[in-house]
Amino acid sequence: MPQTATAVSDIAQRGYAHPEVLVSTEWVQDHLNDPKVRLLESNEDVLLYETGHIPGAVKIDWVTDLNDPLLRDYVDRARLERLLRAKGINKDTTVVFYGDKNNWWATYAFWVFKLFGVENLKLLDGGRLRWVDEGRELVTDAPSYSQGNISVRERDDSKIRAFRAEVQQHVNRNGKLVDVRSPEEYRGERLHMPEYPNEGAVRGGHIPGAKSIPWGRAVTPETHTFKPAAELHTLYESENGLQKTDDVIAYCRIGERSSHTWFALTYLLGFKNVRNYDGSWTEWGNSVRAPIEKP
Amino acid sequence: MDRETRLAWLVDHYRRPRHKGTLADADARVPGGNPGCGDLITMYLKDGAVAWEGTGCTLSQAAASILAERVNREHTSFEEILAITPEVWMDLLGREFADARPQCALLALGTLKIAVKTVEMNRKLREAGVDPAMVRGG
Repeated sequence: MPQTATAVSDIAQRGYAHPEVLVSTEWVQDHLNDPKVRLLESNEDVLLYETGHIPGAVKIDWVTDLNDPLLRDYVDRARLERLLRAKGINKDTTVVFYGDKNNWWATYAFWVFKLFGVENLKLLDGGRLRWVDEGRELVTDAPSYSQGNISVRERDDSKIRAFRAEVQQHVNRNGKLVDVRSPEEYRGERLHMPEYPNEGAVRGGHIPGAKSIPWGRAVTPETHTFKPAAELHTLYESENGLQKTDDVIAYCRIGERSSHTWFALTYLLGFKNVRNYDGSWTEWGNSVRAPIEKP
Repeated sequence: MDRETRLAWLVDHYRRPRHKGTLADADARVPGGNPGCGDLITMYLKDGAVAWEGTGCTLSQAAASILAERVNREHTSFEEILAITPEVWMDLLGREFADARPQCALLALGTLKIAVKTVEMNRKLREAGVDPAMVRGG
């Protein structure tokens, strides 16, 4: 019998500002048959859900479900509402996201849902990997739910999303920026690594003034769960000078890793004004005359 | 092939990859990648035979295995490899999966085409009396 990890269930003791948005594997296990809870798996790997998922979970794909098929933008209100209703989500449903890659795409979907004002969202701490590490059940049967009745608001891009022009204004004001990519990407070295011939941007480096705080530093490597608030406070506030009242913009390559940091700052530390720049380096690093810093 | 059969086929190639490994003294060794999502494929070509190494998502790795299997089994010529269009390849893998991740679906094919072009370029250089290693800085 394979050795399995024990559950990590100390979320309430970690000192988070909003511990209610994070749930443990045990919580999910206890709510597998709760009709008011809907599990949404959101992955980088497009076939991973089909190879096995948490019982009752439905799949959401960031490319085909959340993105407009023509513009580089998200779907509109009507389309997201149709999607959520098709997943059997009602007004009083609690949606729990989880996914691969340490929940990058789960927090990304969470963030997109928030743009539309969707309430009652939670994240499975440790994501899919934690569930698997604990030897919990995965199934291949895709569940079917009756049409839901949720209504969503028009998308509001003004509070938690940043566009390039706003990032430029932010740079001009010496606003706080967090680059959550790897240090090699931050330093602009990745474009020259032989094993990475195409980084998707014609210039390397980082947005002027950005602090390098790789997303993974918010996670305990052994468990894939978020670090306690005290450690996050040390990382973001003591070591990197961010304050909870700051206007902060986070970015990465296309906005998925930075949604993870957006989640940590907003819900775990209680920052009030964090925006995710989803254009990120694939926009900035390809933009003519966009200022770049490179050590 | 229906959706379930195609899915089982892709997952089988992911879990039991064919021709995964290296080729000693390869005519070409070409790395390719989608670093944004972490997919990496290195293609090896030796006398028309193909092997590959890689890490990444189910689709990118399954596609590499399927490609290597077909080329080795059917002794696909260089000309035929270069003629495989992205549309044909994505149809083969299944549009219901490939359309959502075209970069993952096409990584192996694109990398193999570069390997083929590398071998052809090296051949032409040798015919012209030029050492390919010198052209590429050693």
